[in-house]
Amino acid sequence: MSRFFATGSDSESEESSSADEITPKATGTTFNKQDLLLSDDEEDTKRVVRSAKDKRFEELTNLIKTIRNAMKIRDMAKCLEEFEQLCRAFLKSKTIMDKEGVPQFYIRLLADLEDYLNQLWEDKEGKKKMNKNNAKALSTLRQKIRKYNKDFETEIASYKENPEQSAEEEEKDDAGSASSSGSDDDDDEGITAKSLLKKKPQEEEKKAPEASKFLKGAADEESESEDDEESEDWGSDSVDSGSESEDNEGAAASLAVVFLKKAQDSDKLTDDKKDSRRKKHKKKERLEEEADEEAEAEEGGWEKVKGGAPMVKEKPKMFAKGTEINSAVVVKKLTEILQARGKKGTDRAAQIELLHALAGISNENNLGEGILIKIKFNIIASLYDYNPNLAAFMKPDMWKKCLECIDELMDILFANSNIFIGENIAEDSENLAISDQPFRVRGCILTLVERMDEEFTKIMQNTDPHSQEYVDNLKDEGRVCGIIDRLLQYLETKGSTEEVCRVYLRRIMHTYYKFDYKAHRRSLGLQGETKSEQDQEESEGEDSAVIMDRLCKFIYAKDRTDRIRTCAILCHIYHHALHSRWFQARDLMLMSHLQDNIQHADPPVQILYNRTMVQLGICAFRQGMIKDAHNALLDIQSSGRAKELLGQGLLMRNMQERNAEQEKIEKRRQVPFHMHINLELLECVYLVSAMLLEIPYMAAHEFDARRRMISKQFHHQLRVGERQPLLGPPESMREHVVAASKAMKMGDWRTCHSFIINEKMNSKVWDLFPETQCVREMLVRKIQEESLRTYLFTYSSVYDSISMETLSEMFELDLPTVHSIISKMIINEELMASLDQPTQTVVMHRTEPTSLQNMALQLAEKLGGLVENNERVFDLKQGVYGGYFNRDQKGGYQQKQSYQRAPDQRGGYQQKQGYHRDQKGGYQQKQNYQRGGYRNQNQSSY
Amino acid sequence: MASRKEAPSGKSLDSPVRQIQIEGLVRPHHQALQGSEVVQGVLLGLVVEDRLEITNCFPFPQHTEDDADFDEVQYQMEMMRSLRHVNIDHLHVGWYQSTFYGSFVSRALLDSQFSYQHAIEESVVLIYDPIKTAQGSLCLKAYRLTPKLMEICREKDFSADGLKKASVGYENMFEEVPIVIKNSHLINVLLWELEDKSTAADKHELLNLSSSTHLEKSLQMLMDRVDEMSQDIVKYNNYCRSLSKQQQQKHQYIQRRQQENAQRQSRGEPPLPEEDLSKMFKPPQPPPRMDTLLIASQLSTYCQTIKEFTSQNLGKLFMAEALQGTSSYS
Repeated sequence: MSRFFATGSDSESEESSSADEITPKATGTTFNKQDLLLSDDEEDTKRVVRSAKDKRFEELTNLIKTIRNAMKIRDMAKCLEEFEQLCRAFLKSKTIMDKEGVPQFYIRLLADLEDYLNQLWEDKEGKKKMNKNNAKALSTLRQKIRKYNKDFETEIASYKENPEQSAEEEEKDDAGSASSSGSDDDDDEGITAKSLLKKKPQEEEKKAPEASKFLKGAADEESESEDDEESEDWGSDSVDSGSESEDNEGAAASLAVVFLKKAQDSDKLTDDKKDSRRKKHKKKERLEEEADEEAEAEEGGWEKVKGGAPMVKEKPKMFAKGTEINSAVVVKKLTEILQARGKKGTDRAAQIELLHALAGISNENNLGEGILIKIKFNIIASLYDYNPNLAAFMKPDMWKKCLECIDELMDILFANSNIFIGENIAEDSENLAISDQPFRVRGCILTLVERMDEEFTKIMQNTDPHSQEYVDNLKDEGRVCGIIDRLLQYLETKGSTEEVCRVYLRRIMHTYYKFDYKAHRRSLGLQGETKSEQDQEESEGEDSAVIMDRLCKFIYAKDRTDRIRTCAILCHIYHHALHSRWFQARDLMLMSHLQDNIQHADPPVQILYNRTMVQLGICAFRQGMIKDAHNALLDIQSSGRAKELLGQGLLMRNMQERNAEQEKIEKRRQVPFHMHINLELLECVYLVSAMLLEIPYMAAHEFDARRRMISKQFHHQLRVGERQPLLGPPESMREHVVAASKAMKMGDWRTCHSFIINEKMNSKVWDLFPETQCVREMLVRKIQEESLRTYLFTYSSVYDSISMETLSEMFELDLPTVHSIISKMIINEELMASLDQPTQTVVMHRTEPTSLQNMALQLAEKLGGLVENNERVFDLKQGVYGGYFNRDQKGGYQQKQSYQRAPDQRGGYQQKQGYHRDQKGGYQQKQNYQRGGYRNQNQSSY
Repeated sequence: MASRKEAPSGKSLDSPVRQIQIEGLVRPHHQALQGSEVVQGVLLGLVVEDRLEITNCFPFPQHTEDDADFDEVQYQMEMMRSLRHVNIDHLHVGWYQSTFYGSFVSRALLDSQFSYQHAIEESVVLIYDPIKTAQGSLCLKAYRLTPKLMEICREKDFSADGLKKASVGYENMFEEVPIVIKNSHLINVLLWELEDKSTAADKHELLNLSSSTHLEKSLQMLMDRVDEMSQDIVKYNNYCRSLSKQQQQKHQYIQRRQQENAQRQSRGEPPLPEEDLSKMFKPPQPPPRMDTLLIASQLSTYCQTIKEFTSQNLGKLFMAEALQGTSSYS
């Protein structure tokens, strides 16, 4: 968070602690205090109450101790690190230093460190021995300390003059560090007591460097290096304290007095100081509220610093009283504010406020829309900037503000047609002032809206989808869509084609996954129940299908970036598929040739592609194209990572496969919950279509050795089902499908039907489809047909002939259907039978090989393989050096040769070879293999 | 005890046992052991000249998995001692094993037969197929390891080269010893009597065409073995390829080295130090060939049984054809 809050809370704790401290400090001597603290320590459980000063000093001394240790072991890197920390700690305790003066031990360390470093620097040999890290640290540290020590020159000089005193202290210091922290305090006390003697001169001196620091801070504002930044920080900080004291001069009127007093009564001073600080703190708060007056008082003196100082919050003054507010001034102010953007320590919230105030001022003064728009642009930009982290999402209030801002901006843009905006308008060619010419403003509203859309996605990603909050957030979708629509209208008149394409894509992205219930109802011929509803429907504009069609076609024609077109096509297909326009969807998919090169696309597009494929598959299923459905879903389902592939959640994986960074990236790719495709539905559709394909296939090829699985996933489920020790009634969707498959295997379509379509499955899966009834009817019919096929495959060997009428009764199919199914099977040579027309019976031919014959055939095949393998070994033995490997290269050559030979020679020659090849070389044998095909031809033609 | 009939001596075998004579008494033990589970037991008997007479046997107890600490050796000794007390031949002359459709050639059989034959030179393994016997054709075979195989097993050299040197093929791994069954006169009398009593229908059993299930089972197992064989061959093939590849590399390396050395010599520099080539080119691990041999041997046994089976059936079919004339089978 901002520094302001940090210091605020800090001072609070200081206050509370100092309040506790007041009594002992006021009455007791240092000795007394030590006692008190020690006793505190003994109790141990009690919280040790220490003054802020003690705390700070302890921090400093600890750091100093580590530095000294590091010095002893010549660990420069450590030294540097600690020194940087020390500087920071010193800065923190700046306020205390102001009162107490720079503590002696601090000066001592600075002096010692510099000496030590110089000494090391001189020692060339030692330097050589040092490792790279250390040497680097040494040079940096040396430079740093030189710069730093300039601020303390006098103190260091005085320390060098009078080292005994400090030596004494050092002893004390050592003793202190050896014992508990309580004694540390006392040590500090001692030091301050001594240093107090010198306080006054020091204090006065301090003012001078401070002033110089301001200048430096102001001068350094352009440069970016770390050192400078630090000094900048330093500068700003001192500005702070400086201005505070300046403020105080009027009200508390004490500083000068306090300084004088200090030498005599330090304790009292601290009290006073605390009081004044408290007042100051309150004042600060007041400052925020009524910034203007206070700031104006300051204005004159500190103008110089203001620009560079990131602490705009401290003085959100706008313009000096009486300044004539015109557009030039406002623009200047705007750039001033914007310069602080992105800098460390900038309070982003305050900046936004400031910009709002500026917008208000320009509005009051009627500076025209040009400026207003420019400020609005910047407000939105800084709203987006508010989160430094890319992964974090906007807070609700910020989000609301952002939406409002964009809305207002759009209002202005629509109200004033003479405003030109664009990202390619240079800053200096802007025309913001009111004049005859149209306004020209730099900025791209499209980018802002796109960013807004992304933020919206991010918010949705980061909200728990099962909470009310999600619903609330989702309500904003309407506004987002509204804004995109308005932008679309705006850009259609003003924007370039690329911009139009981009905004169209946004619109498409918000449309493609939504099912158009109105259009659906209309297509079913169901008009709205009442007249008024119907009117409403008509007034609400065109079907989403028409919109999609229009937008996508524009993109196909005009877009020049491949990505937008790809996305548009995919969305278009998705939309078609969602509305059961299977043939359009399929044709579009085939025409786009996206399957060939989608693997080169970026992950979000791939996710979209996967979603589209899945939707396409589900659409095919609804239309009864079981095979197409299966093919479309196969890729997604067979991987077992459907969830991940659809961007609907991360799979549990160990950290080896994915580190935290990757996980974050993957999380950012997730599709918001309201766009999810139901995974159970997906799996069910897949399994059911696999069942309808696989069961008849399995029945037909029961004895075939080379039988392949159509769907591994489905077989896996079957195996899982078989492994169950106890088979209860099915519970889950998968169990239902497995049970149905088993029933179907026996040709029992009624049981199969009851497993696939029942209450449970309806509520789980089938009710999710828009036209549930049609799907269910289709499914029943498919089950009947496939069961019939399975039955015929499985039991044909039992029948000599079977009447088609019986079959049609068994499967409740009408006679022509049965006839057509059986005819198809006969034509495809799946069923060895013939139809006897007069009696309407199927007569089996019984030409299926018996299992023994099947087995013999398999054995023959296997033996063939064995012989082939054996010959390979034989080749190897015969060939000289890896004859086997050279075979391919030489093969070509020899093939050519063989063409020249007379075919009869060749045939005879090779026939002779047969299996007796002992004396022949490897080459001839190889030929045999490669020419197998030719040989056969030759022989047969002979 | 039993009258001995001189059996015609089979093919001359260069082993101490040329013939095995089994007492009829031994058989009942076996017949009790029906079932698909493999049953093993000890054969007792004595050696007479070049003839091994098996006069008794006892099975190893079927021990289940939960008494794993059962001491078989102890049991055997115990059993033999008891038999000795009742004055039965107690010379350990081998062991027997039941089989299932003729699948018995395995590594375990090889190992145990080797250890038997190593300890007792004359010992045999008797393979008994209860299923086939139940169908009417006695299936009892006695096997011994050939001396060549013994040699190899002793040296434990199962590499391809070792087998090649010993010229052991699957066909000469085991030698079958002819069996003569001797029954006591009492049993012979009983058999005669039974033959007289049995009806014609019982005798026609012989003419039954065996069902195809037996053939199917055999084919199935044959197929499994062929698969294994294929895999082994592929493995061996891979080995050969990698070996030859390495040989090539080695050869190249040596040549290069020689060239370099020649150059160095011409320049008057000392030749490069010799390096350990075997370390640089570690030959790949050769796959053991014994398993392949065993599989091959098993394959040939299967083929043998199938051949026997089918030829019998074919014979019956032809007979039937001849009897029925040209009407049914043509």
